[in-house]
Amino acid sequence: MRKMLAAVSRVLSGASQKPASRVLVASRNFANDATFEIKKCDLHRLEEGPPVTTVLTREDGLKYYRMMQTVRRMELKADQLYKQKIIRGFCHLCDGQEACCVGLEAGINPTDHLITAYRAHGFTFTRGLSVREILAELTGRKGGCAKGKGGSMHMYAKNFYGGNGIVGAQVPLGAGIALACKYNGKDEVCLTLYGDGAANQGQIFEAYNMAALWKLPCIFICENNRYGMGTSVERAAASTDYYKRGDFIPGLRVDGMDILCVREATRFAAAYCRSGKGPILLELQTYRYHGHSMSDPGVSYRTREEIQEVRSKSDPIMLLKDRMVNSSLASVEELKEIDVEVRKEIEDAAQFATADPEPPLEELGYHIYSSDPPFEVRGANQWIKLKSVS
Amino acid sequence: MNLFQSVTSALDNSLAKDPTAVIFGEDVAFGGVFRCTVGLRDKYGKDRVFNTPLCEQGIVGFGIGIAVTGATAIAEIQFADYIFPAFDQIVNEAAKYRYRSGDLFNCGSLTIRSPWGCVGHGALYHSQSPEAFFAHCPGIKVVIPRSPFQAKGLLLSCIEDKNPCIFFEPKILYRAAAEEVPIEPYNIPLSQAEVIQEGSDVTLVAWGTQVHVIREVASMAKEKLGVSCEVIDLRTIIPWDVDTICKSVIKTGRLLISHEAPLTGGFASEISSTVQEECFLNLEAPISRVCGYDTPFPHIFEPFYIPDKWKCYDALRKMINY
Repeated sequence: MRKMLAAVSRVLSGASQKPASRVLVASRNFANDATFEIKKCDLHRLEEGPPVTTVLTREDGLKYYRMMQTVRRMELKADQLYKQKIIRGFCHLCDGQEACCVGLEAGINPTDHLITAYRAHGFTFTRGLSVREILAELTGRKGGCAKGKGGSMHMYAKNFYGGNGIVGAQVPLGAGIALACKYNGKDEVCLTLYGDGAANQGQIFEAYNMAALWKLPCIFICENNRYGMGTSVERAAASTDYYKRGDFIPGLRVDGMDILCVREATRFAAAYCRSGKGPILLELQTYRYHGHSMSDPGVSYRTREEIQEVRSKSDPIMLLKDRMVNSSLASVEELKEIDVEVRKEIEDAAQFATADPEPPLEELGYHIYSSDPPFEVRGANQWIKLKSVS
Repeated sequence: MNLFQSVTSALDNSLAKDPTAVIFGEDVAFGGVFRCTVGLRDKYGKDRVFNTPLCEQGIVGFGIGIAVTGATAIAEIQFADYIFPAFDQIVNEAAKYRYRSGDLFNCGSLTIRSPWGCVGHGALYHSQSPEAFFAHCPGIKVVIPRSPFQAKGLLLSCIEDKNPCIFFEPKILYRAAAEEVPIEPYNIPLSQAEVIQEGSDVTLVAWGTQVHVIREVASMAKEKLGVSCEVIDLRTIIPWDVDTICKSVIKTGRLLISHEAPLTGGFASEISSTVQEECFLNLEAPISRVCGYDTPFPHIFEPFYIPDKWKCYDALRKMINY
C-alpha cells in the first residue's frame, strides 16, 4: 500500500513538472563515450597501421557533428548565393568531403600547419575562421578573410596557408613549411593536401623526394574524390593506388567518408612524423556531391545514380549521426537542435556577406609589395596612379 | 561560325590534311572546356585526339618530342595562366632546339593553343595575358587573333609554320560573335599586322580582345573630336611587324598602344621603344600606353583594372592636345 502511494505521488509530482520534454531529456542517460570499430587501412611500407577501434566521447561527437553540419550548410548556402549571382567567379564546393576536413583537424593540434588547394572552404572553417568571414570573402566584401581580394580560392588563417589556385603548386610549399617546423623544433607537423588530379603533377614528386631525403615532418594527403574535374582516376593515372605513389614514403589508404577513420589515421600519421621518422602519405578516399566547380553540373562524367548511392550509403554526416544515436551518445532531437542552430548561423552569415560593402577602389593597388613609403602603381594610363600601401 | 567553332574547323582541316597531326591536352577528348575540339575524336579516332593527365610541363615536353620526330603536335594548355610550369620547356627546349643543333633538329611542327585574357569573372588565375613573357624569347612565335575568321587562318598558319608557335585564343570572344568563315582551309600570314581602319591623325595598336575596344575608341574620337584614327591589329606578337606600325606612325605622328597585361614590361613597351628609335622625328606627342595596372589580375576589381574604352579615349585626347 505504502509502495503504491509512493509510486502514485512520484507520478503526480512528475506530471506537474513543466516542461515535460526537458525532464525527459535530462533524465535520459547518455553514454559518455562509446567504442567503434573502424575500417582497417591499407598499408604501404608500414608494419602496422592506425588502430581498428576508437573511442568517441559524447562531447567530441557533438563537436564533430556540429562542425560537419556547418561545413555542409555553408557549402550549400554558397551554392545558393552563386546561383543568385551574389557570389561570382569560381567556387569549388566540398560537400561530401566534410569528414576529411573535420577529421584531419581532430587528429592534429591548432599549432600544426595545413595547406591545401582550391577546395578549401571546409578547411578554412576547421582551421578557425568564422562562417561570416568565409562567406564575405566569397562575395568579395571588406569583411572577408582576405579583405575581399582573394575570393573562393584564396582564404587564409593562422597556420592555414590557403587556398591555392594552381594545381599542385601548394605541395612543395607544404614541404617547405614542414622544413620550418623541423627547424623551429616545436614538434609541429605540416599537412599538405592535394587531389587525385594533382597527384600527376611533377612538382609533387619533387616535394616527396625532398621531404624524404631530409626527413621533414610532412604529412602528404591525397584527397581522392575519384574525379580530377571531369576525368576519372582510371583515365588519368597509371596507378590509382595514390597511397603508394610516394614510393619510398610510407603510405596509408583511409576511408575518407568515416570521420573516425580519418581522425585515427591522422593521429597515427602525426605521431609518426613527430617521432622524426620523416614524411608519410595518406590517401583519403572520399567523394564530392557537387561538380568540380559551380560551372560544372557534375553529371556528364558520372551518373546521378552513383551520386545518390554515395549519398545514401556513405554520407559522412549520416554515418556519424547513426553511430551516435545507436550507441546513445546523443538523441535525434538533440542533433536536430544543432541543425537548427547551424542553419541560423549560416543565415546570419549570409546576410552579413550580402550586405557588407565591397573594398574601396584604392585597395586595388594595396599589398603588391611590402614597402615603407607607399609607392605608386602604374596603370591604365599615366595620369591615373594608385598607391600601393603595405 | 563563332571563335571556338572556327578553331574546331581549323583543327579539322589540319587533321584531315596532315596524317601525322595529333591533338592532346587536358579534357580535349570530349571537346574541351571551351568546346574547341568537339567532334574531332569521333572523326579522327582516339589515337589522334587524346587526353593527357594534369601536367603542363609534361604536355609541352611531350609535344616537343613528337614535333622533333617530324609529326605535327597540337597541344592545348587549358588556360594561359597554367602555362608557367611549361615555361621552361617552351623557352629552354622548344625555342632553342634548332639553334643549338645547328639546324639538325627542330620542333617546328609544335603548336600550343591556350585560352587567354580577361573574361569578366576569371580573377587571378583564369584571366592572364602572358604574351610579354614569351616575347622575350627568340625562337618561338606568339600569335593572337581578334575574330573567328582571323583565328582560323592564323591557327592554320601556326600549325603549318616551321617554328614552334603559341596561339593564344581570347576566351571572352569564344562565343561573343559569329562571322562568315570558309570551311576550306586558308592561311593568314604570320608576322603581318593588319590595318583595319585607315586614318591620318593617330595610330592605335592592339591585339586580341583589345582590338575591339580601340575600334570603338576610334569611332568615339571621330564623333567627338573629329580625329581620324588608324587602327592596327598586331596579330603576331613576335616576330612583330615593325614596318607596318612605323609606316603608320610616320603618317600620323601619334601612337597609342593598349593591352590588358600589366604596364611594366608589357609588350607595349617593346613597340614603344622601337617606334621612338625609328620614327623619333615624326612623333608629335609621347607614345601612350594604356594597359592594366601593375597588380595581379584582381578578383572583384576587374572592371577598374582593365584598360577600357574610356581610359583609352582619355589618353588619346591628351595626346591630341599635347
